[in-house]
Amino acid sequence: MLGSPRVVVGGGLVLLLLLTALLAPWLAPNDPNAQDLVNVLLPPAWATGGDPAFPLGTDNLGRCILSRLLYGARVASYVAITASFFAMLIGTALAVVAGYFRGWVDWTISRIVDVWMSFPPVILSLVLLLAFGAGVNRVVLGIVLVGWTRFCRVLRAEVLSLGRRDFVPAARLLGFSHLRIIGKEILPNALSLIVTLISLEMAVAVIVEAILSFTGVSVEADIPTWGVMIADGRTYIDEQPGALAFPALAIFLAVLGFNLLGDGLRRLFDPRLGLSRSQAT
Amino acid sequence: MIWTLLGLLGRRILISVPLLFVVSVVLFVVLRVLPTDPVAMMLPPTATQEDVAAMRAAYGFDKPLPEQYGMWLRGALHGDLGLSTASRTSVTGMLADAAPATLELVLCGVVLGCLIGMSGGLAMYMWRGRVAETATDVTSTVMMSLPEFLWALAFVLCFGVWLPVLPFIGRINPSIHLPTASGFYLYDTLASGNLHGFVDVLRHLALPVMAVALPFAPGIMRVLRSSLFDVGNEEYVRLARLRGIGERRILLHHMLRNAVLPTISLIGVQAGFMFGGTLLVEIIFAWPGMGNLMVTAVRNQDLPLIQGIVLSYCVIVLVLNLLVDASYLTLNPKLRSA
Repeated sequence: MLGSPRVVVGGGLVLLLLLTALLAPWLAPNDPNAQDLVNVLLPPAWATGGDPAFPLGTDNLGRCILSRLLYGARVASYVAITASFFAMLIGTALAVVAGYFRGWVDWTISRIVDVWMSFPPVILSLVLLLAFGAGVNRVVLGIVLVGWTRFCRVLRAEVLSLGRRDFVPAARLLGFSHLRIIGKEILPNALSLIVTLISLEMAVAVIVEAILSFTGVSVEADIPTWGVMIADGRTYIDEQPGALAFPALAIFLAVLGFNLLGDGLRRLFDPRLGLSRSQAT
Repeated sequence: MIWTLLGLLGRRILISVPLLFVVSVVLFVVLRVLPTDPVAMMLPPTATQEDVAAMRAAYGFDKPLPEQYGMWLRGALHGDLGLSTASRTSVTGMLADAAPATLELVLCGVVLGCLIGMSGGLAMYMWRGRVAETATDVTSTVMMSLPEFLWALAFVLCFGVWLPVLPFIGRINPSIHLPTASGFYLYDTLASGNLHGFVDVLRHLALPVMAVALPFAPGIMRVLRSSLFDVGNEEYVRLARLRGIGERRILLHHMLRNAVLPTISLIGVQAGFMFGGTLLVEIIFAWPGMGNLMVTAVRNQDLPLIQGIVLSYCVIVLVLNLLVDASYLTLNPKLRSA
């Protein structure tokens, strides 16, 4: 696994994000919400006119950009982890039920997924959040309620094909219960796919949270997020481009990390891809 | 053969109608459980209880939910999506003004995204095993990891502010007079023979279209590449090679036709995502489309407008998927007999 550059670089970026989020209170040089109206729109410390107390400069209210960036990592990773975990839980449960028992259960679940997927995903999150009101956990809920369909559709197909393999009827003949077959035979075989999907869903969650913050319907006003920073920084783009560029870079690195990790894991797990690759070279 | 095709499509359309009905019910319920009062924003702070009640009655918000839905559905079937609570104008009219702008953006984005994605996929297959393949692969991961709105901001910074070569506000130079016909400016300018205007519309389209196309392309690129690998192992490719047909001709005339099918079914799904992306891209480029309307509606808590916009998004995505299905069926003879 360490031989794959994708997994190493992606995993490294994800680890960096998580560490930043965990250690933000110790790493941040300033209070992320403290306003210093004397020092507004300061450039980064290395530029002329910069102040070493604010390494990446300040925004239009004199808040430290680096500190807000570090605290923003908390929201991003919290949303990414919880949203993808619960989306995985709901999506996997329904996919297993649909793909394993088939028949009318499968029909019903598949139709629900169809209805859900006919809403463009970001639009649906936006509408849901409008109904829930602002707040970090509501953002998570808004992303979960949209993201589970992605897990459900992909995993249902996988469970369906696993169920047709010989080892499932064999386990039935041995008198194993459905629950045991699902837990011991089906899920372990689908695990690699689930891990890959989680990683990709985390990337989606980071982007969706940023879009929602940008639109102004995401978290409480006193929590710094990258999306809010970008929306604020856009207005002062000429005076302090860093207020926009640094959070944009942070989103890019986080999403890149999750994408690389997910992509690398998929390539490692999927023998078909590996085969065509080795045949080609 | 054409009849089986039409039959299959007819069946898909028949499925879409109940789907759309359920979607509208879900949407209605979600929007009506809102904790806020939909008419609160419309009245001055001095309004009395009676004023509020009168306003609620005027918009039908005082009736029970099923009855409200019935009223709305009856209107919607006649093309009347109600009145916007913020601007007090017809939602249908606002949508009719905004939809062409978004559709033009998305259609151009899909076309450009497919062009980049397909050529990238072909290039990756041709360069297989070489450094160039890895380089393209890394580039595509980077392209995918910047969401539409970050591309949009980067383009505004680069080509709008830093190197001011392209316009980044609106759809057309306001000094150009355009007899509004379809709302699709590319078509309107061409139809009225206004070549200068056509070029101006293209220049305004360039940055937003690139912003939505770049994150769209990598998915196409990867799926095409991996299906090219699958097809490459087929018997007929070896046969064609043995017959001495050139590698380029095999790729473009034999393999691409068979490998392109999974890519096409991906386009529909991806295009749905693109509508979410246009939301912020439209705000950044002051594009007078549905995304801009949607964000304004969300900020004003304008329920009838939100409902109308989301429903039109769903209709557009459904139609798009139908078109994708249709092209899939026309291109795949195996499915026609089934």
